[in-house]
Amino acid sequence: MRSNIRQVQSRRIYVTNFAALYYGTQRRQVNSRLFLPTVTSQRFYAEKKIFSRDKPHCNVGTIGHVDHGKTTLTAAITKVLSEKQLATAKGYSEIDNAPEEKARGITINVAHLEYQTENRHYGHTDCPGHADYIKNMITGTAQMDGAILVVAATDGTMPQTREHLLLAKQIGIKYIVVFINKVDAADSEMVELVEMEVRELLSEMGYDGDNIPIAKGSALCALEGKSPEMGSQAILQLLEMVDKHIPTPIRDLDKPFLLPVENVYSIPGRGTVVTGRLERGKLKKGTDCEFIGYNKVFKSVVTGIEMFHKILEEAHAGDQLGALVKGVKRDEARRGMIMCKPGSMKAYDHVEAQVYLLSKEEGGRKKPIASMIQLQMFCRTWDVAAQCSIVGKDLAMPGEDSTLVLKLIRPMVLEKGQRFTLRDGIVTLGTGVITNTLKALTDSERHDLLEGKKVLKKEKKA
Amino acid sequence: MIPAQIFRLIHTNGLLWQATNKSLLAKLRKKTGYTFTNCKKALELHENDLDKAEKWLKEQAQQYGWTQAAKLKDRNTSQGLITVTVDGNHAALAEVNCETDFVARNKKFHNLAEAVISAVLNHAKSQNVENEVQRTIFHADSLKDLPAADGKSLSDHSALTIGNVGENISLRRALAISVRSPDVTLFGCTHPAPMNPIPISFGKYGALIAIKCKKNDNMLGTQLCQHIIGMDPQKIGNPRVDEPHNNMDEEQCMIYQEFLLDPSLSVQQLLAAAHAEIVDFARFEIGEELDEESPLKSAQTCG
Repeated sequence: MRSNIRQVQSRRIYVTNFAALYYGTQRRQVNSRLFLPTVTSQRFYAEKKIFSRDKPHCNVGTIGHVDHGKTTLTAAITKVLSEKQLATAKGYSEIDNAPEEKARGITINVAHLEYQTENRHYGHTDCPGHADYIKNMITGTAQMDGAILVVAATDGTMPQTREHLLLAKQIGIKYIVVFINKVDAADSEMVELVEMEVRELLSEMGYDGDNIPIAKGSALCALEGKSPEMGSQAILQLLEMVDKHIPTPIRDLDKPFLLPVENVYSIPGRGTVVTGRLERGKLKKGTDCEFIGYNKVFKSVVTGIEMFHKILEEAHAGDQLGALVKGVKRDEARRGMIMCKPGSMKAYDHVEAQVYLLSKEEGGRKKPIASMIQLQMFCRTWDVAAQCSIVGKDLAMPGEDSTLVLKLIRPMVLEKGQRFTLRDGIVTLGTGVITNTLKALTDSERHDLLEGKKVLKKEKKA
Repeated sequence: MIPAQIFRLIHTNGLLWQATNKSLLAKLRKKTGYTFTNCKKALELHENDLDKAEKWLKEQAQQYGWTQAAKLKDRNTSQGLITVTVDGNHAALAEVNCETDFVARNKKFHNLAEAVISAVLNHAKSQNVENEVQRTIFHADSLKDLPAADGKSLSDHSALTIGNVGENISLRRALAISVRSPDVTLFGCTHPAPMNPIPISFGKYGALIAIKCKKNDNMLGTQLCQHIIGMDPQKIGNPRVDEPHNNMDEEQCMIYQEFLLDPSLSVQQLLAAAHAEIVDFARFEIGEELDEESPLKSAQTCG
């Protein structure tokens, strides 16, 4: 999203040598995008309404039992905010039965909405099932920064509320705000008891139950415009809590700079140029940088930045650029390496990931995978062979999500939250997100890993 | 605590509720797990007598479950659990559906699934085994009337669970396989398999297999069940009648499929090496479309 917006003004491309070179990378990049989980950028032109970017963005979602009024609450939020011209009111039926959406070839049942408060702009997600939330987390279409747990005062917490909170834990939601709904059908004592019960359950599930903000109201009243103290005011109170309690995620622009190397060129008389799309941060001439990847780590200095054959004072995240680096030979740097702020990234060869395996209909394979399978892992501009072991199961079926431990044959730059794709030959098997980095493989483990591959190959030949 | 507890000031039903004690309500709710509305009603009706209220709630639960079940009966159930159990010469496979996979992960739902499979297994045990392998198929209607261990019907149990989790639940189908001869052994497994193996396992896929084998090879049985789950064979296949398919990936005869856990072997080779023969098998997948005819031809339906 972020990069889209910056490209609102269409730019003129000057056809020169450098531009031709740029086209080359662009094409290669398009090819690589067929399977690499990078954010596809798409240009918005003048006839589209321009998204104003004056407020920080935050993604939230609702979780809770099907009958406790998640959809009614969502409809109520848009209605209350539309009165302040901060959202477009959406009816219950427009949000209900979350439509099927395809994100990176994966079918997710998800409802996406947007609205804003005085302070922030929100993306709002609602999915019907556990598996859909997991797929949403893996594809990262709307990574939830916080969640609103909806509980009806008439019913209290349901047996499955525990599963809802477990899910929130699993997909890495740290901040939760509770909305006790349907207080118009309950009385104050009951509401108080429900609040106690919710706090108790939250604490039990490892959240800070005593301090999590809880709003009480009736989404239905808000939607129908009745009893404002239970209706619209409660909704506004909830939104205020969300504003305060869920912190704004750090924007990519404010992070240390990172550039996955797409190509390396040697320009006679100038030196070595690496090209790529700056993924995050800002890059200026004269900045120290570090190259990591393929078992190599070396430092250098950026001595010049160019975009479309023009000198750039400061490159921002999202810019496709070429950087001239000092003292680096052309064959030292290569595609797949990462150029970043020294010390900000590390290479790993042993990680834990949550992976969704594509079903046959989504273009995956029909057969399940078993532990010890060798797959090719694609991420940013690199790819590497990885051995997968499935945690807690013997098999992983297509259309199912599983936790995998990946052992890479050589360490590559990775971090928590990094998305990647797993392929076997020409078939994309699944996509995943790294949930944890584990300690580096020992020499003997690495030996086994390489041997294991040889044994497999021999068996295939026989 | 949180400011602005304005709602404290709003009391909906005057004096009667003033009399009921808040801690009693909390206690009753904690003890029984029924919804706040129902707990309150119970206390009001029985003048805050905790024991009487609890008794009344338990009586009402069945009734409430049925009302709730009637209210939710049109909602689509596409999630749920497959349960598998094997006990000596009898084995059973059952599918119970619910609306969201959150509920399918819940203990209450597991208990219901357990009650269903035990009822199916007990029914199978009570029948005479006339053939070498006898299959009994239960459809939604026949499952409803089966008695559970406590004498209530399965539909009563499912209504109770509906009242409890507030989602529509349907008992979709079940299958019992019984074998007579001692050389034929039954194996079953589910995917994902539970962490600590108990007699009854739950998952999204389930398979049962009957193998004729001299020695009781536990490993082979479980692996073949995994193969059935993963490769979805349509029939066992007879080497004298069936021809192997020319595309390996499209192969539907089990004996010609490559073995899931070791693709260099075909199932036929694996069986030959173990001196084993597959007599019968069954596979359930959650929410799969039912093709009522083909796999159930040899079935004996029972009331």
